[in-house]
Amino acid sequence: MKLDINGKSLDAPVPHDTPLLWVIREEAGLTGTKFGCGRALCGACTVHVDGAAKRSCVTAAGDVVGKAITTIEGLAKDGALHVVQQAWVDENVVQCGYCQAGQIMSAAALLARRPKPTDADIDAAMSANLCRCGTYPRIRAAIHRAARALAGDAK
Amino acid sequence: MTTQSELSRRGFLTVLGGALTLGFDAGCGGEQAKIIKHAERTGELAPNMYVSVKRDGRIGLTINKAEIGQGVTAAFATLVAEELDVPIESIDYAFADSLPEFKTSSFMQLTGGSTSTKEIFLPLRRAAASARSMLVSAAATGWSVPASECRTDAARVFHDPSNRQVGYGELTVKAAELPVPESPALKPRSQWKQIGKRNKRVDARDKVVGATKFGMDVVVPGMVRALVIHGPVYGANAKAIRADAARSMPGVHGVFAIAGGVAVVADKYWQALAAAPSVDIEWAEGDVPGLGSAEMRASAHAFKKPGVSARSEGNVDKALEQASIKVEAIYDVPYLAHAPMEPQNCTVHVRGSSVEVWAPTQSPTILQASLSEALGVSASDILVHTTFIGGGFGRRLVADWAVEAALIARAVGRPVQLIWSRENDMTQAFYRPQGTAHLSGAVSADGTHATAFSAQLISQSLFLHSDPFVHALAAGVPRSVQNLLASTIAGLMGSSTLPDFLEVEGLATLPYAIENVEVGFTPIQSKLPISSWRSVGSSVTGFLVEGFVDELARAAKQDPYTFRRTMLRPGSRQLPVLDAVAKLARWGEKRPGIGRGIARHFSFDTEVAEVADVEIVGGRIKVRRVWAAVDCGLAVNPDIVRAQVEGAIIFGLSAALLQEITLMNGVVQQKNFDSFPLLRMHECPEITVEILETDRDPTGIGEPGLPPIAPAVANAIFDLTGHRLRRLPLQAALDEARRT
Repeated sequence: MKLDINGKSLDAPVPHDTPLLWVIREEAGLTGTKFGCGRALCGACTVHVDGAAKRSCVTAAGDVVGKAITTIEGLAKDGALHVVQQAWVDENVVQCGYCQAGQIMSAAALLARRPKPTDADIDAAMSANLCRCGTYPRIRAAIHRAARALAGDAK
Repeated sequence: MTTQSELSRRGFLTVLGGALTLGFDAGCGGEQAKIIKHAERTGELAPNMYVSVKRDGRIGLTINKAEIGQGVTAAFATLVAEELDVPIESIDYAFADSLPEFKTSSFMQLTGGSTSTKEIFLPLRRAAASARSMLVSAAATGWSVPASECRTDAARVFHDPSNRQVGYGELTVKAAELPVPESPALKPRSQWKQIGKRNKRVDARDKVVGATKFGMDVVVPGMVRALVIHGPVYGANAKAIRADAARSMPGVHGVFAIAGGVAVVADKYWQALAAAPSVDIEWAEGDVPGLGSAEMRASAHAFKKPGVSARSEGNVDKALEQASIKVEAIYDVPYLAHAPMEPQNCTVHVRGSSVEVWAPTQSPTILQASLSEALGVSASDILVHTTFIGGGFGRRLVADWAVEAALIARAVGRPVQLIWSRENDMTQAFYRPQGTAHLSGAVSADGTHATAFSAQLISQSLFLHSDPFVHALAAGVPRSVQNLLASTIAGLMGSSTLPDFLEVEGLATLPYAIENVEVGFTPIQSKLPISSWRSVGSSVTGFLVEGFVDELARAAKQDPYTFRRTMLRPGSRQLPVLDAVAKLARWGEKRPGIGRGIARHFSFDTEVAEVADVEIVGGRIKVRRVWAAVDCGLAVNPDIVRAQVEGAIIFGLSAALLQEITLMNGVVQQKNFDSFPLLRMHECPEITVEILETDRDPTGIGEPGLPPIAPAVANAIFDLTGHRLRRLPLQAALDEARRT
């Protein structure tokens, strides 16, 4: 099958029901998207499919043929960090960092829908992304920071 | 993009690995010759095993600790940047391979016990300062001026009187010819520009763009992938395997039994995943048939004999007899899994008697010892490359998963990457031991302070004291590793004599001024694997001590803060921290509908006190706010220290409120995050952390934030509801209390 990952076409010789996560990691060789639970319980594998946050560990690769898949590697454009990634650096969010690609993809999808999210919006969008190191307060702060940066850019 | 230059890292280590004894104080004879030769060959000044100065003025830094999120990369880089006077951005760091000279933790290469920054604080600054001193001397000699007239800044040496300057990169070869100073002068605190001030992580950028290579991201040419199916009971071997269909599936190389499981090997992991459901296995009994955690708890409740004494002062029985205010209680904690976000994985290539390993490990030395025993090869023939690690919390001190990977790699004769499922990780977890404590205490007639405190703790032992000279670690760990780990942890904890000191830490070391104290420990024998879990014994003793002290205060109708305060010694590290958190949280100000609890604990040479504000909404415990005050000595990177305390509180809250591993008939009941929940964004309280200013050198910080949170929340629930919860997790305990 042919998949569109980060704007590049990938020929993946996999059965229809192969989890998208492993196609991204093993066929596209993009290892920024993480395996955490295999059952859509932790969010570490979150990618964008046509701009919406999706758990790639339970998404069949065959179901996303013809759709635009974006992974953490495709978020920064021309070497410049995405506003969410920059906010993550500025707030010193990461600890071990393993869940953060998924967190960032969920946050970026949230901000694309709601450029000025409330705390309740953040709770709703981010509560399915687990972090064992306990970076949640900083993730919240970073999302608000990114929202402020977006508002500044829009002016 | 990546800060890690694989090529230069390997080159650097190869040379230093050959030198073997290059240390901080190496400076004469053969060592000097090697430094010169290295400089001639590479243009680099490499005066010791940690720091090298490159021709372009950039700094190479070898880190012999694992980055498990605790910020060790930033700590190392900050110390080196400070003493070398270079921007932190000019440091290229890499993790040390498993080489003998990197065994700096009691003869082991190990990351644990909240020791990294504490351990490295002086030696690493010395390593950097000696490089700086050599560069300055080289410049001064070239200019024919005294070295004392030179200063350094931004990777350059300046001689202000003659208005000359030169970059470090131009000095490396000349500097290499100079003797390595034995005790180079360190910068005084007053001149620090980076220590205690800089607060950006050096690993952040790679992590936010997905470039960081964790264990699971390792790719070795020619490698195949494997998964392992474990039996329902820990340690079970396969008696029979029916896998003809699986073996004929695309990409599958083999389906075969290894010790304690069945391996499915394929070109790609997705192929192994597709094949696994077609594998039918008949299992043997396993190591813990019939084990039930509820039955274990009931037995511990009924067990009334005193254990091995860990502390005995005064006469507890007499004090209890004479007291008018006294309390008796039983406290319980469950087994817990570490559940780091990166499931266990390991990449291994076995070539005859030599083995190469790429692993997210907290201890290359333990991994070597484990593989040495499993494969029958010499530990020195096992080379371990440590990767970035997706969370450790103690789970990656043991190397059972590496043994599995090595057994599979040997069987297939090519490099293998083993990836565990979350279910593997949860059911084979080297758990934090379940425990029960019988507590009794008495309070003075005027109610101001406790006069007696007795605790008898019953749980599996991390160290079974098998004979007077040998500590043995618990079940599931190879004997050679038991001995290694035991002696190391004993060294790290500053105790090698007290049996089971890990279980009773925080209990035997109770800092309250109480006249009559009795602490005992009774080990439970079981083959269920257990290991260190973030804050180790203190994850248990913090809860039961601070919950019970709160009970004593309440029984005496005293304010829980004042009651503790009265019993803490003036001049101790405890008192200022307790006062600080009370002030920070405005202790004494009550808000309707909010319960408030306080607790403190000393662990890893660090004192932490916490206050929690708690609501109950629809029967659910909601922790709204947490305040923490910390004395961890000097904070090298204050914002990372704060992050560690926040993280320890959240990790601790997951356990305090929600988590337990239970066994029924030998089978672990929790398999994934649906039944072993982590705290989520919407459940996370607002957290405020204050770091006390002290003159002390750094002490532990990765773990000490955890122990006070469970008792602070339990005490807050009592404050709000009158329910005294003596069992973790608290949500289950509250549900039970409200039913009865």
